[in-house]
Amino acid sequence: MLDVAPATPFDPKDYLRLQYMPHFMCPGCGHGIALRALLAAVHDCGIAKDDLAVVCGIGCSGRVGGYIDANTFHTTHGRPLAFATGLKLARPDLTVVVVTGDGDCLAIGGNHLIHAARRNLDLTCLMLNNEVYGMTGGQASPTTAATRLTSTTQSGAIEPTFDACALAAAAGAGFVGREVTRQAPALKTLIARALRHKGFSFVEVMSDCTEVYGRKNDLGEAPEMILSQKADMRPEQHNDAPNQPFRPNALPTGVFVERDLPEYGARLRAHAAMIRGDTAR
Amino acid sequence: MRPLSQDDIAPTPWPVTTGMNILVVGVGGQGVLMISKALALMAQRRGFAVKQSEVHGMAKRGGIVFSHVRFAEQVWSPTITRGEADMLVALEWAEALRWLDHLRPGRGVFIADTRQIVPPFACRSRKRGAPSGYARETPAEIVGRHADGCALDATGIATALGDSRAANTVLLGRLSAWLDYPVAEWHDVIAAIVPKGTREINRKAFDAGRGWTPPAPDADPDLVAAVPDALPDRHVGVAIEAAWCKGCGICVKLCPERCLAMDGPKAIVATPSACTGCRVCEWLCPDFAVTVRNEGVPA
Amino acid sequence: MSTRLTALHGNHACALAAVAAGCRFFAGYPITPSSEIAEHLSYELPKVGGTFVQMEDEIASIAAVIGASLGGLRAMTATSGPGFSLMQENIGYGAMIEAPCVVIDVMRGGPSTGMPTRPAQGDIMQARFGSHGDRPVVALAPASVQEIYTETIRAFDLAEQLRTPVTVLYDQVIAQLLESVAVPEPATIHVHERKWANGAGAAFQPYAAGEDGVPAMVRPGDGHRVHTTGLTHAESGFPTQVPPVVDRMMRRLLGKIDIHAAMLERYETLMTDDADVLVVAYGITARAARRAVMVLRAEGLRVGLFRPITLWPFPEGPLRRLAGQARAVLVPEMNAGQLVLEIQRLVAGAAPVHPLGRIDGEPIAPDQIVAAVKELAVHA
Repeated sequence: MLDVAPATPFDPKDYLRLQYMPHFMCPGCGHGIALRALLAAVHDCGIAKDDLAVVCGIGCSGRVGGYIDANTFHTTHGRPLAFATGLKLARPDLTVVVVTGDGDCLAIGGNHLIHAARRNLDLTCLMLNNEVYGMTGGQASPTTAATRLTSTTQSGAIEPTFDACALAAAAGAGFVGREVTRQAPALKTLIARALRHKGFSFVEVMSDCTEVYGRKNDLGEAPEMILSQKADMRPEQHNDAPNQPFRPNALPTGVFVERDLPEYGARLRAHAAMIRGDTAR
Repeated sequence: MRPLSQDDIAPTPWPVTTGMNILVVGVGGQGVLMISKALALMAQRRGFAVKQSEVHGMAKRGGIVFSHVRFAEQVWSPTITRGEADMLVALEWAEALRWLDHLRPGRGVFIADTRQIVPPFACRSRKRGAPSGYARETPAEIVGRHADGCALDATGIATALGDSRAANTVLLGRLSAWLDYPVAEWHDVIAAIVPKGTREINRKAFDAGRGWTPPAPDADPDLVAAVPDALPDRHVGVAIEAAWCKGCGICVKLCPERCLAMDGPKAIVATPSACTGCRVCEWLCPDFAVTVRNEGVPA
Repeated sequence: MSTRLTALHGNHACALAAVAAGCRFFAGYPITPSSEIAEHLSYELPKVGGTFVQMEDEIASIAAVIGASLGGLRAMTATSGPGFSLMQENIGYGAMIEAPCVVIDVMRGGPSTGMPTRPAQGDIMQARFGSHGDRPVVALAPASVQEIYTETIRAFDLAEQLRTPVTVLYDQVIAQLLESVAVPEPATIHVHERKWANGAGAAFQPYAAGEDGVPAMVRPGDGHRVHTTGLTHAESGFPTQVPPVVDRMMRRLLGKIDIHAAMLERYETLMTDDADVLVVAYGITARAARRAVMVLRAEGLRVGLFRPITLWPFPEGPLRRLAGQARAVLVPEMNAGQLVLEIQRLVAGAAPVHPLGRIDGEPIAPDQIVAAVKELAVHA
């Protein structure tokens, strides 16, 4: 993995399975922007496509991997981190990226997230948070903000939401950051830092579901939604009403945690060497 | 966007021997005229011919105010035409955007306060937090497209110093970093034109602006200026792959130059010559349908 | 074959056999009565350069195992009923994407938490039908510690050859039973190497198979850069819903078991040639049945034992042949009647098939089978 940007200019077409393009995401879906930022970050880090493994779960986010010209795995709902754990332990030479969604990662897969963060295996987890189950028709997810309308919250969501970054950080992740798709260049930089981080890195991407969530909540068309990300992410708006229900799209962005922690794979190998007695602890 | 370093922001002072065109813009009550007055006075002291032309008929609070300052050996026209301004100093963010096309392509310096003053007609709803019609472009994306300059929270800096009204002097201080004149002389000029009781705060504000450095790269990108060393040549271009375009309209609405348009269900390049190669459309196209050619700005 | 005799617990034998079979990855979650397998492997695997990882649950365990398998390793997990239930979705995924792996299920009393320290044979239909949809199923049912050793090795061999998850089912009794085991010399143990793909290229089809029905597998990093998905996929590896393609892919997936039926088939018979009453038993119950047959034979009754070792796919041909000669079939098993349904289906009325279920947490004793056979012989 390179520490400096490669000399060749980035062309996403070099990293896409062109025969399957255009992809099947809805018009204006933020996941496409996130995908481009991921590919640009992979390019920046100089990761060869053959050495890249992308493990996805189920849902709209789960379909992102299939368009990447790499070793891609579309696994079961909520479990991509667990599959990736096995893959990375078997093949430490691969760069393993998990692309997951808010439902995949925080609801059905919440247990795997906290344990992956705790274990600190060298994985990069990209959680595309569009606050809704888009693939299944727009049901409420663990990040659906209070009062938002979804197919399962017809009169407004009432459940509190997760702060995925706080969750990952509390569980012990060595690198935690968040960015909006609106700031795609910054998102790319964030992902590149996460890729370079040795250990478990977690990046939450605030992505827009235009067709299902945006329409249902009268948030405007794709341009309006992406433009409003900036206003929504301002922390002072959030602070105006500290007692208001937590709004995921009013969260701060940037890198929240970056710390060197013992990486799990290296620990395992050192432990194995100790058991074999072939090297000093 | 490449990471920022101190080098990105430190201006290279212009050896001012041939004169300059400086456009100062803002809204009523911000002190646009104070800046232009100071510039004019400084230019006069340096022996230049100076012309200062301003519109302040709308100067009741909220109206647009702008001032053209031109100084050189000889100055004929009192106004700066499009693409001829060497520097654009904006005291309000939307005004900065409004006047962008006056900046000289390739080497114009852009200095703006990031503070927003939302005009009443931009308010579509009286509800708290309702979306407004205010300009959506962010400093990070605008500043990066210009040869030199920065966007800073001058009002915030002035407020911290004790008087938000000194924001204009903060910007003057910032602007002075590009003009090769001694600080002491600037202090004299300011003292000569501001009310006696505000000399101290204005001096502090000037120094704060002149010494301003960008926040660490991790801070809010709003407050950070991403400044390439030089604007690339004009042979930039944007192309749309129709087969991949799903017509979401993001590129059309977010292009700062409005050079894209919807043609039925697809986006097209309507005015190719307007493209500055900023790559906003390319980054934000969810469908990989937009390709920008611009060797100056990394993809 | 060079061997050495040693006394091992069933779970210990399983762990050692896995290592001997080339297993280099184990992911698991503690559960009685299978935990000793994980405990032994946590120490044995690192010694041979393998990886042991204790996951957060059984779902993650089987997922990690499949992930490691996709990475190129021989991989295994071990669990018991509740954990086996949790694994079902991902076992189906493993079958769908054709990831070789081994799942050990040490059966205990159920349903639900049931009786963790008591034996049962209640998971055999779960092993067959537990995951949604149709999928290739291979399950082995050893009946002794020795057989745990050999069948664990065979499970790896079958998994690698057929590219599919293989389940090994045994119960709490033999899991924690200490028996003499003839451990073969490592050099004599042979597990087939996975069929690896070679020849990257744009036209490469990761799920195209030859006559053996088993597609060659890629290794990440070998240049193929394929897509792996649990969605119904075409030969390209990418999702499809085109009916003829789906039909072709599904029939190939299920058919690879039929193609290799001869390799899969394994059973044992005892005095079946002239048997009037055929006892069909597997696992620990087969040991009681063997004793019962000897006792009954001594008393002059013509009784035989059919013991499937490969439980799924069931050795249909041999069973049909033997059942056709018998006047009655008895199926003792430690559940309320599971395999008996399959036997009834196979015998198809050629002879009456009787269940002998026991669901009180106790193994079936020889006396119980003797009594049941005598009753059948009277009425037969």
